[in-house]
Amino acid sequence: MKDESANLSFRLTLPAQVLVLFISVFPLLMQAYISLTDWSPLSGQSWTQAWAFWNTFANYSDLLSDGRLWSALGRTAFVMAVCVPIEFMLGLGLATLFMDDFRGKRVFYSILIMPMMVVPAVAGYMFFMLFQSGGPVNDILSMFTGSPVTIAWLSNPKLALVAVMVADIWQWTPLMFLILLAGLVGVPEDQVRAATLLGANPLQRFTSIVLPRMKTIIGIALAIRVIECFKIFDTLFIMTGGGPGVATETISVYIYKIATQDLIWGYVAAIALAILIVLSVVCVWALKRMARVRA
Amino acid sequence: MSMIRLENLVKRFGAFTALKTMDLTIADGEFVALLGPSGCGKSTTMNMIAGMETPSEGRILFGDRDMAGVPMGRRGVGFVFQNYAIFTHMTVRQNLSYGLRATRRPADEVVRRTNAMAELLQLTPMLDRPAAGLSVNILQRVAIGRSAIMEPAIFLLDEPLSNVDAAFRAVMRTELKGLQRSFKQTMVYVTHDQLEAMTMADRIAVMDHGVLQQVGTPLQIYNDPANLFVAKFIGSPGMNLLHGRPVDTGGEVAIDLGALGHSLPLAPEQAAAARRAKGDVVFGFRPEQAARVGEGQGMAMPISFVERIGARTILHLGEGAASAKTVFENDAGFEMGRALHFAPHPSAVRLFDAASGAALRGH
Amino acid sequence: MAEIAFRNVTKRYGATLAVDDASFTVADNEFFCFFGPPLSGKSTILRLILGLEKPDSGEILIDGRAVNEVSPAARNIAMVFQNLALFPHMTAADNVRFPLVERREAPAKIEARLRDAAEKLHIGHILHKMPGQLSGGERQRVAIARALVRDPAAYLMDDPISALDARLREETRVELKRIQREAGRTLIYVTHDQEEAMSVADRMAILQHGAIRQIGRPVEIYDHPSTTYVARFLGSPVMNILPVQATGTGFEAAAGALQVSAQAQASVAEMGLRPEDLRVSHWEGGAGVPATVSEVEPLGGYTVVTLTAGAQPLRAMLRGQPDIRVGALVGLGCDPAKVMYFGAGGEALPKSAAPSLGGDRI
Repeated sequence: MKDESANLSFRLTLPAQVLVLFISVFPLLMQAYISLTDWSPLSGQSWTQAWAFWNTFANYSDLLSDGRLWSALGRTAFVMAVCVPIEFMLGLGLATLFMDDFRGKRVFYSILIMPMMVVPAVAGYMFFMLFQSGGPVNDILSMFTGSPVTIAWLSNPKLALVAVMVADIWQWTPLMFLILLAGLVGVPEDQVRAATLLGANPLQRFTSIVLPRMKTIIGIALAIRVIECFKIFDTLFIMTGGGPGVATETISVYIYKIATQDLIWGYVAAIALAILIVLSVVCVWALKRMARVRA
Repeated sequence: MSMIRLENLVKRFGAFTALKTMDLTIADGEFVALLGPSGCGKSTTMNMIAGMETPSEGRILFGDRDMAGVPMGRRGVGFVFQNYAIFTHMTVRQNLSYGLRATRRPADEVVRRTNAMAELLQLTPMLDRPAAGLSVNILQRVAIGRSAIMEPAIFLLDEPLSNVDAAFRAVMRTELKGLQRSFKQTMVYVTHDQLEAMTMADRIAVMDHGVLQQVGTPLQIYNDPANLFVAKFIGSPGMNLLHGRPVDTGGEVAIDLGALGHSLPLAPEQAAAARRAKGDVVFGFRPEQAARVGEGQGMAMPISFVERIGARTILHLGEGAASAKTVFENDAGFEMGRALHFAPHPSAVRLFDAASGAALRGH
Repeated sequence: MAEIAFRNVTKRYGATLAVDDASFTVADNEFFCFFGPPLSGKSTILRLILGLEKPDSGEILIDGRAVNEVSPAARNIAMVFQNLALFPHMTAADNVRFPLVERREAPAKIEARLRDAAEKLHIGHILHKMPGQLSGGERQRVAIARALVRDPAAYLMDDPISALDARLREETRVELKRIQREAGRTLIYVTHDQEEAMSVADRMAILQHGAIRQIGRPVEIYDHPSTTYVARFLGSPVMNILPVQATGTGFEAAAGALQVSAQAQASVAEMGLRPEDLRVSHWEGGAGVPATVSEVEPLGGYTVVTLTAGAQPLRAMLRGQPDIRVGALVGLGCDPAKVMYFGAGGEALPKSAAPSLGGDRI
């Protein structure tokens, strides 16, 4: 009986499965193929003829010694390590705040989730303007210090990275807030009240009742943001273009640059595939760990 | 300390008044049931005592201490939720010991008291089982134990038996009552089931539409309901209520029940009440307090339905305004469609003012 | 019309035996009730009748025809669910019309059926309302009306009034019985409330672990339970079932309050007595068997008294509000004809014609 229905569901979903296979597996295979060659669109040959430029694993051994790649990777990891925890803490704080009723809650709510809806390109331009040396950020700082401030945010290698991270936090805290709010709403109110009546203080309630119930959703929120942050590109690219120099060049920016400027697609494919493999391994490991913690 | 006083308590939610001027004093160690249909304000009252809701007006005092502004964690009340609110990600032991751990009692005390509570509630064999997936009667004991371990002076229970199977309910009623005896706390129990209130409570506070209708011992409320609502709500089935007019029949007073004829002459106390009545009255008697009489002596109503429930036979009589129910202990060949001749015992008759619904008393 | 029968039906879910070799016949126009604790197989039986589940073995018959392979739709049986499942975006009338509109019946016929059902269920005045505006009892009646208009061969109801307040349940169960009589259809009903089962059922089946323990009229089962399980399960307060001690000439229970001679009952292991059959009198120097009152629960019309005779706890249900206090000494007695006898396996033993001794003086 059970096998029969499993068989039926397999047959019914077969067309969809084939389509998914085609959409996701085919480009992957194509990429794997190109990554083993020196092929470039400038070579004048179609990608199907890329075998003419076969170089086996040369691209892969190259990327191991590519200093610019490794520093881009390190920079991306740094942005991730700073932004995701800050977004998480801010999101959780705001979500906790929104569990209580207060005046103007709806208005604040709309304002809070607005950044998420701003087109990244627009957000990029917005922050580009904000962080100009004659821009509002410096104006505000001037008001506090009393003397004119003219920090060149986006042309200072260290400050440019700070500006980029501020933009990322501004844009993605709302998503964290929304996911965590959904999680908090799912915590049974009576259990929290019961803990209160038993004398637990807010921190104890949070760690002993709320947190255990939020484990899964926190895991999901962090996973989404880590993956997204790894791919950080659009806002950043408009603000700094990865500069000054390579000061804000993340992995995506680097790939974009070598793909569009240097046009060495075989190498690009190799980098992309290597990152995909590493990310997948990390994700699977994290998910397995989460499942174990839950069990 | 553990006496509870509610003074002029009012609760409004926006334009809706959930509770209208409630005054009630619950003595130390007393078991009081707040009884009423859904939406009568009983849970709102309970939540205000616990501190989960803030009164719109009036005061709540524990002993002489005004509870206004005291947060729920500081009131020292135990609360058993309708759904038990068990911490399902913990074991039974962790649930029981939660309060002690939260208030940072020494580890050896936590172990000792948790074991003692588990022993008392017969939970020892499942102490280290995860709370998720335990049966409902065990969950109830965990919920009670988890609150009782903090030794609160006041215990509040919000319909703890409403999720329980009918078959288990009787067992758990007995269990709950036994627990209250061993803990000796002041208990406030919210329920919509009059049988639960009757069997367990020292006193019952009957509520309807946010208004306290009557407070008294179960038998006071059963025998002398203050108004028509209480008369109908208490008892299973509720009191029979027939509209009528007092008539003087040469020194004695009876009630003219229209098409049903006259009632038997009233007992002296009821007669005095009837004499004072201004206008129409409602003639009430309990279904258990009617006896069969010979033809032409009491009331006659056709039997419209016979329910035999175990040893009891409930007869549904008449229809519309002229309907009543009687309960007999034996199934003495009652036939649907046949007329039943019956009369309530005169001492069991209660009269109510037809206009206000309030009970008419002889003194 | 529909007669519904099971012949040795068994249904397993994995290792769990949900229905264990069940056989029964529900007569046409009968109000038949399945009564048992949770997970005793009540709902599975309904699902089998409806055709939502297939039996692992045995036969399901409707009007003598095996329907094991007949689809649910072709069985023409209507179901009223526990959660009622009214469509919240439709008026009561549209909810009732729904099954007919689905079957593309003629509008005139639909309206006639609607009027008919509304009249039977007294819902004419609320037909224009949305389910959200109705009380629990009204929603209940609308749900039944929706089942009624289909004009099915039989109705199944799975604990349909359990969500109502206690008082409303008492009223609604009588309504249900009336509706079933007027509709003249077979009704199979599942409940976990024994008062409800006894009140509405023409006949009932008592279930335990998926097996049918006894089938009969409620009164029959109440007066002649086939096992101690059935005896305990039906009746509130629970029947006193007391282990017996051998005496010189026979057996006794509860310190001699119940006695029987060895000739009358040779293999008795337990004696049973309903709480309402236990007679309690004030102890004035030796009528009956002495017992101590340990608890008094006044219910108004009745008083439930818990007593201890010897070391044996017993419960008595007394009429009215007798003046009995906790701690008082009382005398116990009973009508020997009311005593039931059970063997070592819990099975009921036939009552012997020989009268039992003693305990009948009060």
